[in-house]
Amino acid sequence: MTETGKSQCRNDVVPCSGGVIESLIRPGCSTAERESLSSSAPIWQDVLAQAVTGELLAAMNYTSLSEICDDPAEIADAVEHAEGERGHAAAFAAEGRKIGVEVTDNVNARHWKRLREVFLGCIADRDFVGCLLVQEIMLESFAVASYARVAKEAPGSLGKTFARIAAEEEEHVDHAMAILRAERALDPQLFDDKVHRLHLEVMTTLAKMLAKECKDGHCEVCHESCVKPSLPEVSLSAAELRGASLRQYLKTLDALGLPGEVTLTWVAQLPV
Amino acid sequence: MEVDFALIGHQESWRAAREVLAVLRGPEHTPLPEEEIKDILPWIPPRAVCNVEVRSTTGARARGLYIDSFIPPDRLETAYVHENITRVRGAAACASSSKAKIVGLGGFSSILIEGNFDQLPERRESVFTTGNTLTVAFIVQGVQKMCALAGRELCRSTLLIVGATGDVGSGCARCLAPTVRRVLLNARNVERLRRLAAELEAEGTPAEIATNLERFSTAADVVICAASLASPSLLLSRIAPGAVVCDAGYPKNLSASAEIPGARVFFGGLGQVTGGMRFAPDFRGILNRHPFPDVVHGCLLEAMALALEGRFEPFSQGRGFITPEKVDEIRTIAARHGICLAPLYNGAGPLEDALDCPNELLAHRLRMND
Repeated sequence: MTETGKSQCRNDVVPCSGGVIESLIRPGCSTAERESLSSSAPIWQDVLAQAVTGELLAAMNYTSLSEICDDPAEIADAVEHAEGERGHAAAFAAEGRKIGVEVTDNVNARHWKRLREVFLGCIADRDFVGCLLVQEIMLESFAVASYARVAKEAPGSLGKTFARIAAEEEEHVDHAMAILRAERALDPQLFDDKVHRLHLEVMTTLAKMLAKECKDGHCEVCHESCVKPSLPEVSLSAAELRGASLRQYLKTLDALGLPGEVTLTWVAQLPV
Repeated sequence: MEVDFALIGHQESWRAAREVLAVLRGPEHTPLPEEEIKDILPWIPPRAVCNVEVRSTTGARARGLYIDSFIPPDRLETAYVHENITRVRGAAACASSSKAKIVGLGGFSSILIEGNFDQLPERRESVFTTGNTLTVAFIVQGVQKMCALAGRELCRSTLLIVGATGDVGSGCARCLAPTVRRVLLNARNVERLRRLAAELEAEGTPAEIATNLERFSTAADVVICAASLASPSLLLSRIAPGAVVCDAGYPKNLSASAEIPGARVFFGGLGQVTGGMRFAPDFRGILNRHPFPDVVHGCLLEAMALALEGRFEPFSQGRGFITPEKVDEIRTIAARHGICLAPLYNGAGPLEDALDCPNELLAHRLRMND
C-alpha cells in the first residue's frame, strides 16, 4: 500500500498483515456494496483491529478480576464477562473475514499495554473498585461511544455487529454503576480521588490514542500507516470518535455523582 | 454546599470559549488551539463550570453555580434550535440536580426557552427566571443615561426597537414609549408587531411597524437593538445623525460593517455588582468580559438579586409579560443589594469619560429623561 491512501487497493484482493488474501465478500452483495466494501476494507481492517485488541484486553482484564474476587457471584460475573468479550473479539474478526481482510490484534501495542498495566496495578492491590473504574467506566465508555459511532457508518452486517456489541457493553456499565454508586456513597472524596488518580493514567493514554494524530509514532495495531487520516473516507473522523468517547465518559461520571465542574477540568487537561 | 442560584449561559465566540478552556486547563497546560476547541466543545455535555459568590452591599451573600450549556458559538442559527433546546434542558437539569433555589437563563438560553417553559425539566426545588425584566431595566436606564450624556431629550426623540416583539424588546417598548415622541417597531412577525403597536397607541404613543428597517417613514434618533441574531449582522442604514444606539443583543446585534456615522453606540442590559463577586476557579474577566469589574448581563443578575433578596420565585417567565411596574420592582430589589447599571461602554472602550458631561448636568438631564 502506498502512503497516499488506504483505499487504493485492487478490488477483492486486500493486503493485510498476513499477506494478500482473496476477498470473502458474500456472493449476495450488490455490485455497489461489493465495490464500496472492497475499497474501504483496509480502513475497516484497522478499525476492527483496534476493536479486537480492545475486546481481548477486556477479556484478559475480566479474567484477572475473577482471580481477586471473593464473592462467588462476582467471580461468575467476571468469568462470564471475559467470555463475552472474547465472543465480541471473535465476532469482529468474523466481520473482517466477511469483507476479505484478516483482522490482527496486538494487546502488547504501546497504548493497550499501558492500559493493561494500569489494570494489573489495581489487581496487584486487590482493588476491585479500581478495576471496575478502569474497565467499566473508562475503557467501556470509550468502547460504547466509538462502537456506536462506527455502527452508524459501517455498512451491512459490520454496522449491525458494532451496534449490537455497543449495546452489550453498555449493559456491563449499568451493572458496574450500581456497585460504584454504593461505593461512592460511603466516602465521596476518597472515591473521587481514586477516580482522578486512575483517570490520569487511563484517560491520558486513551486521549493519546484518540488524538487526531499519533504523535508518539505508530500505534502498533494499524496494519500499515495510521488509519486516522483515512477515516473520513468511511464518514468517520478521529475527532468525532474522541468527542463521542469523552462525552460518554463525562456522562458516566455524572451518573456516578462526581461534580461536573471537577470532571470537566479533568477532561479539559487531557492531551490532544 | 447550599446552592442559592444557578446561572445558565454559553459562550458567544470561539475566542471566549478558548479563554474558558484555557482557565480549565490551568497554567501548566498549553492552551488548546482554536481548531481543537472547535472539535471538542460541541461534545461537552452541559455542566457546571465554576462556583460563583455574589455579595450584597447589605452584607448578605449568595452562592451559586455557573452552568454552561456548551452551545457552540457557530450553532446559534435556527437550524440548530432543537439541538440547542436539548442543551439548555440539559443545563437546566444540572441546575435542578444541584438543588439551586433559583435559576437564571442567560443569552440565547432564555430566547430558546421563554415560550417553552414546559420544556424545562420537572422543577421540584428550583424555580426558573429568564432574567429579562432586569435586562430591560438596565437597557432603559442605559438609554436614559446615554441620552443625558449626549444631550438628547427623550421626549423629542423617535425610538426604534429592533426585535420589538421579543420579551426584552416589548418590555423596553412598554417602559420607554410613554417617554418618547414616537415609536418605530421592527421584528419579523407582523401580527405580533400589530398587537404591540395597538397596545402602545392605546396608551397614547404613536407607533409605526415594519418588518424591513428601510420601510419606516422617518429616521430614529434612539435605537435599541434587542433581536435574537446568531451573529452581529445588523446594518442600521437609516438612522438620524448622532443617534443613540443601544446594542443589547447576546451575541451583539450590530455588524462591524454597519455604517452609522456619528452614532453613540453602547452595549446595553448590563449591571454591576458593587458588593463584589468571586469565581472559583477564577473566571473573572473571562466569563464576564467587560472593561469594568463585576459587570454581568442583567438576565443573570436578576437571579442573583432575587437570591440575595431571598425571593426564590419565577420573576420573569414567558414572552410579553414585562411591565413597567415589574421593571421598577426588580430594579429596586437589585439596587437594594448594590446591583446597578454598569458604566457605559462599547467595543472601543468606556464611554462616560469620553463624553465628558459634568455630574450636575448629567443628573439634571437624567431627571428630564426619566
